[in-house]
Amino acid sequence: MNIRCFQRNFSAALPPLVPLQLPSPMETHLWYVLPDEVKSWGLLNQYSELLSPCEREGVNRMRGDQLKKRALLARALVRTTIARYQTNSQMNPRSLKFRKNLYGKPEVEWRDEDNFSPLPLQFNLSHTSTMIACGVTVNVPIGIDIEEKQRRTKNNLIAFAQRYFSAYEVKVLTTISDPEVQRQEFIKLWTLKEAYVKALGKGFSAVPFKTFTIRFRETTLRNFHPPGSSVSEASDIIVESFDDPTNPTNNWQFTLLEVAGSHYGAICIKKDRTAGANELMKLTVWKTVPFVEDVCVSGTDAVVDLGRIIEQ
Amino acid sequence: MASLAGSSIVLQPRHAGATSRVSGLKLVSFMSQRRSSLSFGLRPMPARLRISCAAKPETVDKVCEIVRKQLAVPSDKPVTGESKFAELGADSLDTVEIVMGLEEEFGITVEEDNAQNIATVLDAAELIDKLCSEKSA
Repeated sequence: MNIRCFQRNFSAALPPLVPLQLPSPMETHLWYVLPDEVKSWGLLNQYSELLSPCEREGVNRMRGDQLKKRALLARALVRTTIARYQTNSQMNPRSLKFRKNLYGKPEVEWRDEDNFSPLPLQFNLSHTSTMIACGVTVNVPIGIDIEEKQRRTKNNLIAFAQRYFSAYEVKVLTTISDPEVQRQEFIKLWTLKEAYVKALGKGFSAVPFKTFTIRFRETTLRNFHPPGSSVSEASDIIVESFDDPTNPTNNWQFTLLEVAGSHYGAICIKKDRTAGANELMKLTVWKTVPFVEDVCVSGTDAVVDLGRIIEQ
Repeated sequence: MASLAGSSIVLQPRHAGATSRVSGLKLVSFMSQRRSSLSFGLRPMPARLRISCAAKPETVDKVCEIVRKQLAVPSDKPVTGESKFAELGADSLDTVEIVMGLEEEFGITVEEDNAQNIATVLDAAELIDKLCSEKSA
């Protein structure tokens, strides 16, 4: 199904938003927009009506039409997505208020005078020039980062890693002999590290990249169903922090994905202890154009889990 | 020493605990070196008073060049001291690459807490000049 936006008449009022069910504990919802699929000026204008004056000003300050469009879509995506989770009544995405926490991480500001009840939602945004993504959880902190698979660093990759990554991570990268594979693994590692810092929400300087290692760890899963038990080898993504013993790092769960064939995406969420120690994060992914269409892409080749390699 | 009697900008100390040294006064040197004779750390300045900048113009120019290259800014789009990295399309990887480029160009090390406060070309240039003068002090 492929709806061409410019065939719709958006001079009339926008249709109501289709409501959404909240994610369950240990479930993440990931929504993404592909800017190239949003071509209608009418629709873009109506998105800009949803923004606060401050946000609109922020969009206008971006230099160039593509950057403006990207900034506009990011705000429209987060406003419409959060508004849709309101179950009691229709929440106007325009009414949502956002603020930054003490460290600059954006969050929803729920106010008593608004006509809707606060939702225990947490969200995080990331964008590239060809995708805007918003991750949503209930109660638990989340950080996401997406990068184009083809992204190249201007600096020498190993020099960059030596400057910013941990010694272990540099070792892992330098032992990869194929430069293209090395570049891909670098980008994946970058997204994982970014997602972790964003999930922590204390800013880049509170958790310098050099002070933690993200790596794959082999684990063994034992299945006990008949006819006999089998053992699977799996890879977990874990983070080891050097100097923050107050924040045990087995609190964080990572997912690494390839999205839409074009991007690497990393999601980091805090494990919800009430959900059970072995509860794994469930993930549902939609490609969306706000007000127009949602396509659930989980289980299709638009979403490939890169983090868990199961071998029998 | 340039005479600044008529043109000095006096700022009130922003915090009750301001020290007694002339920490609110931004000196503009008219000599070719354009080096501030006093270092004021990272005290934020009101935007309108930043025109008399503490960064050397050649530092600002170099930063603009590095930013322009990293972000592949088209030549018809201006990059100036006031330019914000985010508004030029920089994401976090770009910003870190820019900082790394500045470290290599100027032979300095930028700690994360300083890097986090860099939003504009001017922020970067002022920090570079500060770190360079500390290095040679």
